[in-house]
Amino acid sequence: MKTISLLALALCASVASHALHAADVAGVSASEIVVGHISDLSGPIAMLGIPVRDGMLMRFDEANAAGGVHGRQLRLVVEDAAYDPKRGVLAARKLVQRDQAFAFIATMGTPVVMATMPVVLDAGRLHLFPFSPHEATYAPLHPLKFQNFAPYQDYMEAATRHMVERGNYQRTCLLYQDDDYGLEVMKGVEAGLGKLERKLVERTGYKRGATDLSSQVARLRAAECDLVVLATVVRETVAAMTEARRIGWKVDMLVTASGYSAQTHELGGEAVEGLYGVSVLPHPYAAGANAQLGAWIERYRARFGAEPNVWSVMGYTLADMFVRTADASGRELTPTVFARTLENLEFSRDYFGSPAYRFSAEDHLGNRHGRLAQIRDGRWELITDYLR
Amino acid sequence: MLSLLQVLSSGIAIGCVYGLVALSFVLIYKATATVSFMQGDLLMVGGFAGLALHLAAGWPLAFAVLGAVLAVALLGAGLERVVLRRALGQPHLVAVLLTFGLGMMLRGGVASVPAAAQDMYRLPFATDTVALGALVVAASHLWVVCATVVLMLLLAAFFHFSRAGLALRACAEDARMAALMGVPVARMHTLAWALGAGLAAVAGLLLAPITFVHLNMGFIALKAFPAAVLGGLSSLPGALAGGIFIGVVEAMAGLLLPEGAKDVVPYVLLMAALLLFPQGLGGGRLGGGGR
Repeated sequence: MKTISLLALALCASVASHALHAADVAGVSASEIVVGHISDLSGPIAMLGIPVRDGMLMRFDEANAAGGVHGRQLRLVVEDAAYDPKRGVLAARKLVQRDQAFAFIATMGTPVVMATMPVVLDAGRLHLFPFSPHEATYAPLHPLKFQNFAPYQDYMEAATRHMVERGNYQRTCLLYQDDDYGLEVMKGVEAGLGKLERKLVERTGYKRGATDLSSQVARLRAAECDLVVLATVVRETVAAMTEARRIGWKVDMLVTASGYSAQTHELGGEAVEGLYGVSVLPHPYAAGANAQLGAWIERYRARFGAEPNVWSVMGYTLADMFVRTADASGRELTPTVFARTLENLEFSRDYFGSPAYRFSAEDHLGNRHGRLAQIRDGRWELITDYLR
Repeated sequence: MLSLLQVLSSGIAIGCVYGLVALSFVLIYKATATVSFMQGDLLMVGGFAGLALHLAAGWPLAFAVLGAVLAVALLGAGLERVVLRRALGQPHLVAVLLTFGLGMMLRGGVASVPAAAQDMYRLPFATDTVALGALVVAASHLWVVCATVVLMLLLAAFFHFSRAGLALRACAEDARMAALMGVPVARMHTLAWALGAGLAAVAGLLLAPITFVHLNMGFIALKAFPAAVLGGLSSLPGALAGGIFIGVVEAMAGLLLPEGAKDVVPYVLLMAALLLFPQGLGGGRLGGGGR
């Protein structure tokens, strides 16, 4: 009788502890983990937002089909902020209060990230891998915020240095988008040239959404640049290369990871042949893919009826890091346990060709490196390993 | 000197696109006294409609372009009949806000198609360059300039020689008097919205080889609106001149002035022009016929 009472007591205690745990940790119940994602599905960067979301959904679905994480199903709750910080804050509050999201993953766009991050952190939720190169996403150190996208400044410093040494360029110039993005790249390029005791010969900017870059390209040509670094996005990258080729200027150009996209050669065609770019994660080309990547591309096509791109890979990779960390955290999942686990996990290079991501208790930025690629025969070819 | 000419040619071409969108603003404003904030979105819809008809439905490019312009013109007419007509007699702000809301709905509608939201597209025409002596001009730029000239001639002929054009002008001058003279004012409003939407679609299709077709291509309307204001908001040649003025000044300032000045210069000149010509560049001839 006594044994039965003890057993009953233990059972009650166990149930109570589970119930308490479920009540204590927002977004974690006995059967599910809720993950919040503030995206841009209808605004200016929707062309990134949609594949990122799809990549994450695909990985979470795979984890759920395999039984979930410690028996819990993963549920991704997606809110569209359309790159608008005001909508972002509303979405963050909804995800914190109504959906009780355990973590926020891959918030899209620097203005939205800057507006929503305080809401997320004040509520004690994890802020993971936002799509923003801003330093504030990982520094100063905060126990709940983590970033794994290399900052422009860091990888462009290495890329510029490597390019100039490799090609023995004498006159490096910069075409930049006149905002935080362009200025971050400028700092990196100047730092890289500084290490070689050189300076930028000419720099010229454009406002976001500019239609025509002919005056900027003419200005750079007049400065007799032999390497032009582009702090541009896809459309402006194609426009700059097309304009240079139109006026018969055969200059080498190097674009940041923002221009490293299949769209660049699909839209640019012949004009962008020979363009150098920095890759922080390779584009998933079906032709020449390894067996695992080929199978992944097939699964993605079957699931979404579209070709995957580098953003799909990023979404999938981020979700994969979440799944692996949640799995390694054990059954008693809390934000603190998750964060400490993430600090001690090593994500080695995978079949996508991603860099190795590594966090620590002192450093919540998972990667600082990019590698050089070049458009050859209408596709990006990787020409170096990750640059240090 | 050659680079100056190269930049000038680009400036004129981009200015023509600004001018075409400005024309669509002015057409609608003159006929209905409504400033339409959905012209940028109609431009974007025009680009996507051409793309959908050509790439998805497999129509030949010329038919796809014509079909797209017609479809967007019909859309403009439909919106006027179903929604904007209800704002007649209400304060002006009602119609303005309606166009704003309709623009957001158009954008949302296009964004709900995954292929449209995720990618940029190129319409396969005007990808070459044309050498005029030492000057190399993009074929897309030549297309824009030629199409603008042709459109202006067609519009001028329409407003001078066709009954509908004359009726539209009568409505723009004095809608009440036109109604008393037997002009069907409501139908003329529908026609003005259809023309305005069709013009925006033409601008979108001409812009397609230059900036590609994507969800944000309508932002160019932000530059076209000052062009329309510069033209006096009531003159069609003024709107076109305003557009070309902004396009050229923007391009030349980028080449000739110190870094950072080029984005300010067009607007400084715009302010100066408005100070000197408060009615806009076309204001001197305000109230005249044929525009």
